[in-house]
Amino acid sequence: MTTLHVIAHSPFADNRLASCLRLLGIEDALLLCGDAVYALRPGSEPLRDLQAMNLEGRLFALKEDLQARAIDGGLAKAVDYPAFVELSLHHDKVNSWL
Amino acid sequence: MKFAIAVFSPPHAPSSRRALRFAEAALAGGHEISRLFFYQDGVHSASANVVAPQDELDVAARWRAFISEQGLDAVVCIAAALRRGVLDDEESRRYQRPAANLPAPWALSGLGQLHEAAQLADRLVCFGGD
Repeated sequence: MTTLHVIAHSPFADNRLASCLRLLGIEDALLLCGDAVYALRPGSEPLRDLQAMNLEGRLFALKEDLQARAIDGGLAKAVDYPAFVELSLHHDKVNSWL
Repeated sequence: MKFAIAVFSPPHAPSSRRALRFAEAALAGGHEISRLFFYQDGVHSASANVVAPQDELDVAARWRAFISEQGLDAVVCIAAALRRGVLDDEESRRYQRPAANLPAPWALSGLGQLHEAAQLADRLVCFGGD
């Protein structure tokens, strides 16, 4: 059973991202969208937390939200909406951190 | 595959637009949307009285057009809607309010519709946040 976790809140405003990273299963994936893409800001603590998690191939960010905030995806694979749909089907459940 | 999509944020929130884009992409990808459920502040998307600034995307109008064009089942949580002043004709008469602002294609119903949609669909995807 794998889960796609979706976070849409800034990691500088609350601890959703930290809570999510604690719960993330080894086959789970994480999609950052909206203000959550600020977690990828170079030199930031959230980025260090993500780097420490070994999320290669399991960390994604919505392309248009990266572009809107002038953030380089770097660690995360940038995805468009069709890819978001496919990601949601690739995992058994989608858990949005509302 | 069948999707159930729940929207928790108002039409002026970026996440409502993301939900719309996701729903469009799901249909374009050959999938089915078995139900859209608008909950909490998401019920404002169903209000006919939303006026978006001229230089912004009118997400409420886009939802309305999308639902009508695709013939989708769009359910608005009745308890969430009443407390936010989103009423159809029947509810405006029941509570003696001066106007109704929830026309077709939207339908007021209960939270059970979200539960049923989650059971019937292959995936439930919820949208909220910034």
